[in-house]
Amino acid sequence: MSAATPAARRFTPARMLLYAILLFFAVLYLLPLYVMLTTSFKTLAEIQQGNMLALPREWTAAPWREAWGSACIGLECSGVKGYFFNSIQIVVPAVLISGLLGAFNGYVLTKWRFRGHKIVFGLILFSCFIPFQIILLPMARVLGILHLANSTSGLVLVHIVYGIGFTTLFFRNFYASFPDELVRAAQLDGAGFFRIFFRILLPASVPIIVVTVIWQFTNVWNDFLFGVSFASGDSAPITVALNNLVNSSTGVKAYNVNMAAAMVAAVPTLIVYILAGKYFLRGLMSGSVKG
Amino acid sequence: MSFLHIDDVHKHFGETHVLKGIDIEIDKGDFLVLVGPSGCGKSTLLNMIAGLDTISEGELRLDGRRINELHPSRRDIAMVFQSYALYPSMSVAGNIGFGLEMRKVPKAERRAAIQRVAELLQIENLLSRKPGQLSGGQRQRVAMGRALVRDPQLFLFDEPLSNLDAKLRVDMRTEIKQLHQRLGTTIVYVTHDQIEAMTLATRIAVMRGGELQQLGTPQAVYDDPNNLFVAGFMGSPSMNLVPARIADRDGKLVALVEAGETTLALPIVRDREALEGWCNRQVMLGLRPEAITDPTSANRDGGEIFEADLEVELVEPTGADLYVVTRLGGISVNARMRPGSPPQPGEDTRFAFDVSRMVAFDPESEARIRTAVDADAPVQAASA
Repeated sequence: MSAATPAARRFTPARMLLYAILLFFAVLYLLPLYVMLTTSFKTLAEIQQGNMLALPREWTAAPWREAWGSACIGLECSGVKGYFFNSIQIVVPAVLISGLLGAFNGYVLTKWRFRGHKIVFGLILFSCFIPFQIILLPMARVLGILHLANSTSGLVLVHIVYGIGFTTLFFRNFYASFPDELVRAAQLDGAGFFRIFFRILLPASVPIIVVTVIWQFTNVWNDFLFGVSFASGDSAPITVALNNLVNSSTGVKAYNVNMAAAMVAAVPTLIVYILAGKYFLRGLMSGSVKG
Repeated sequence: MSFLHIDDVHKHFGETHVLKGIDIEIDKGDFLVLVGPSGCGKSTLLNMIAGLDTISEGELRLDGRRINELHPSRRDIAMVFQSYALYPSMSVAGNIGFGLEMRKVPKAERRAAIQRVAELLQIENLLSRKPGQLSGGQRQRVAMGRALVRDPQLFLFDEPLSNLDAKLRVDMRTEIKQLHQRLGTTIVYVTHDQIEAMTLATRIAVMRGGELQQLGTPQAVYDDPNNLFVAGFMGSPSMNLVPARIADRDGKLVALVEAGETTLALPIVRDREALEGWCNRQVMLGLRPEAITDPTSANRDGGEIFEADLEVELVEPTGADLYVVTRLGGISVNARMRPGSPPQPGEDTRFAFDVSRMVAFDPESEARIRTAVDADAPVQAASA
């Protein structure tokens, strides 16, 4: 390919059409976000009379303050902040523990193979394809037996169990591309099972750790079904609180507050994506191409 | 007493018998090369010495001590792997020092040891780099540094040069040899490259299908092969193997080889007593390309020269040598001649056969036909 072709190709009609279509879909995709953001900064009066797509005439942060601190959810009027921290309390341990367990599984399934390791991996993989709804009742029973019903710790457990399938898949595929000789060399050097994992494999796993964290963080943070089933009331995560907020407003619907609350609920996942997004694709590639 | 003794070692993977009783003894300071085609069990044997594979039967002794059950890290063995297996997240210094760190060597001592090895291998300027930032040859050196730093009793090399390009491979081969000469270490080295085996080894073990074919000095294995496989595997271009019939011509034992319309009667010099029993029977003659030359290049001090005019089929100049191909017994035969005035294909030229270097094999069993006195020589050959 000559050096001139990329420049020449930029202006072909087919290229222009392609870009136009892509641009159209990008705009279409971002439109709801735009409406949410602008609406959340408008006064209620302006929303009721104005154009949905117009920018606020008068910017106000009041809906955000209300959503965070004083909006009524059910009978309590203290905003979503408590639930926001609930979600953090659920997400952080759930992501860390399921990630670590997945990494261990991947390590054992690739570097310390045992008889039947394929079946074990197959079963773990199978858990990725079990629909959420199927496990609701048995899980409720298990949480009851463990005295973890209606608590954030119970929800953490549920997310860990549900997440292991995916985290194991990620790490197994990543470690499958690691040469086995690495483990052998470390054995000759005198390192044991845990030492090899923590000193050699884990520090070289940054791309797949990022993938796992993003994947688990978004899934756990955005989960609604498990949250509404296993942690109602004060221990509910923010997704459940958002639903309750939208449903429990009486009289006039405070769209601006609802939108602000929805933005609060969405911001953490956005931040994770922006900070780690570029590793995400890279890590997904390295995990999927080999292994 | 031998330093490393591999005593009737077997390996089974389920139903398959991978190693069928390997017996090898080497002395301290020896450079043993295990060579053979892929799947011959040489890497398995190396892994068993390292302790990375279990031993099904037999015994491994290092310096008189049974090591079958010892953990790899307690065998006082270091290994250089084919993929180098450098720890990707550690610096070069970290890689080299990791084994010492695991053995709880104090930091200052560790640093001195790393420095010493880095100087030896000329990688001092790379110590803070990560393996990903190194070239193939540099990685190779770091992998060797990691093995050297622990100053083990035995070094194992698993095809360490196979990932390098041809030029670098030759350079590193020389360096490994120099390192061995300088440090006097005992090395077991696995390769499928017979040239590597010839150049590096003080002892070669040729393996095939989980069995040891021959153990001896490079020269013994080259000049005095135990069977057809060893004869064909060692040497490049490989030994000419020509069908012939042994006959008695006026009291002289000869090998009759068909050459176009005529028949050559090559006098038998080696293994004469053994070959007397093969009179009027088919054998396979083995002649190295350098044992078939032009009359002026022929080595007349050593042995008996037999000359004949034969038709040239093909000429292959390599610069240093000239390979002339002719046809003997229906098989293309390579002769190494003096470069300069190449004969023309299709014409006749004079060939000189150094029959004192000629060996014979049983075409059925593929075993060497040799006089009993010689029979033991290559197997337990003293250092040349």
